[in-house]
Amino acid sequence: MERRAAMAEQLINGQVIEACQQGDRDAFQCLFEAYKDKVFSIAVYSSGGDRTLAEDITQQIFLKLFTAIKQFRGESEFTTWLYRLVVNACLDERRRSRRLLHWGDTVPVKNVSDKKPQERQYARLEVAEAVRGAIEELKPKFRLPILLKYIEGLSYEEIADVMGCSKGTVASRLNRGHSQLAKRLSHLNSPSLWGE
Amino acid sequence: MFSKHVTKDISAYCHGELSNEESKRFAEHIISCVKCRTKFEEIKLGIKLAEQLPQLTAPDSLWPEVESALGREVGIVSANPWPWRARIAVAAAVVLALSVGVWLYNRQPDLHTGSGKSGWLVTTLDGTPKIGSENISTRGSLSIGEWLETDEKSRAQIAVGTIGNVDIDENTRVRLLETQPTEHRLELARGRMSARIWAPPRLFFVDTPSAVAADLGCAYTLSVDDKGDGRLSVTSGWVALQAKERESIVPEGASCETQLGTGPGTPYFDDSSLEFQQALKKIDFDKDPTNRTAALDSMLSQSRAKDTLTLWHLLPRVNDDERVRVYEKMESLTPPPAGITREGVLNLDQKMLEQWRYALQGSWGSSGGKGIPKLGEKSLKGWPTLDLKDPAKK
Repeated sequence: MERRAAMAEQLINGQVIEACQQGDRDAFQCLFEAYKDKVFSIAVYSSGGDRTLAEDITQQIFLKLFTAIKQFRGESEFTTWLYRLVVNACLDERRRSRRLLHWGDTVPVKNVSDKKPQERQYARLEVAEAVRGAIEELKPKFRLPILLKYIEGLSYEEIADVMGCSKGTVASRLNRGHSQLAKRLSHLNSPSLWGE
Repeated sequence: MFSKHVTKDISAYCHGELSNEESKRFAEHIISCVKCRTKFEEIKLGIKLAEQLPQLTAPDSLWPEVESALGREVGIVSANPWPWRARIAVAAAVVLALSVGVWLYNRQPDLHTGSGKSGWLVTTLDGTPKIGSENISTRGSLSIGEWLETDEKSRAQIAVGTIGNVDIDENTRVRLLETQPTEHRLELARGRMSARIWAPPRLFFVDTPSAVAADLGCAYTLSVDDKGDGRLSVTSGWVALQAKERESIVPEGASCETQLGTGPGTPYFDDSSLEFQQALKKIDFDKDPTNRTAALDSMLSQSRAKDTLTLWHLLPRVNDDERVRVYEKMESLTPPPAGITREGVLNLDQKMLEQWRYALQGSWGSSGGKGIPKLGEKSLKGWPTLDLKDPAKK
């Protein structure tokens, strides 16, 4: 599935975007396939893990993308333009719902330190779940750079373009986001877990 | 030395967003700055955690819903799709061709960076070393999982990204296990290697059959014999030698043996007497209690003030009676500072052991003012957890 999306993403070029601008259904679907998982992931992490809400947000983002794609003039990277839509949609949704998250809302995290090697794979899944919970609880200004870095794989410069801020601000927000994750999940700092 | 703290650059450093010059300045500062190094450890954990964040898969039902809404709002068409499809087919062919090209290119030695996922740059120093089954004449690239092997006539040098170099001696076999912003890891199966690392502590690791060497900002030589036993000698800075139940920290001018099944022994200074070193080897690895007792007698009689490095490490490793003798020898060489009691040390009070260690480190040779490094999380079975700060000031 991921490989298919990666292949589709490589195929997104000016011609596909041009075809989308002409209302070509297949081109729309090609674009959708290329980015749906990444957009959906950010939406899930930005909506407190609510997958139904994330589906709505993802749908709205692609509708907005396809409606506005005629205005895309290629002055910036297409991905920058797309992720701006994603970031704005997630911030809009947060403002709309005014969801208040509390530390205690997530599933309690078990202490997974001191796992035997054969249990490490399972422990890693637990870590992923714990990280997901902690990410969802970060403020959007710290969470979004982390998602753009680790889900989308953007550079600091690209994140700065998407978020409309400087590279220095991106670096600072990532620093604070990492720091908050480490403090929140310090009980996972186990050498056995990380294979040291 | 402490001109400007670098905490704001930690994430950028780990993500390779700093220039080579900035990275070098960062590493030089962080090695000598306790405050920045502590923050570095925290942010490194944050990065490791964030790297575990999974990408999710959107449900298949999403496209029909989007398509349906698009039909209403945008008015999508399917007219004249073939020219676009033909172009996509051509584009797909181009992508495929490029992928094959990239794959073929990546099979060639990466002579450009010597870092990152594409492999570490290997330079031949003598003879014809091998990467996998291929001989390298002048330069090659070592990728994750690949073995670099030298014979009796060959030597090589590995560039560890931008953080240091490792010289590989004759008859040595090493493998690259991991290279990430938060961890670079080699495996030394046999032979000898010398590392010079100018990165923050605990970024570069070497796995051996009997222990793991964790770099704490230093230069050192590590060897492994055919039985899997090893020896670490530190020429600059500090190295932590770890196994499941033991961790020894080894400063400049000191060495430490490791043995398969036992792990790291006790560190000792290279200029200690031969009798001292032979006795320590028996204490560390001889199972016969009679031999151990005689060895302890010999070692204590040969101990100098700086050998409190060895004695301090031995405190939690010996039995109660032996601990009394080790303590009394230490007390005669360097009396413990105020607040550290005989009873506390004999009961392995961690805070007191830390305080005494802090007081002793001045006699453990020149460490460039870097201070004693922190032991890792493997402080098992009564091992004291070392800290960078003066415990009296906590």
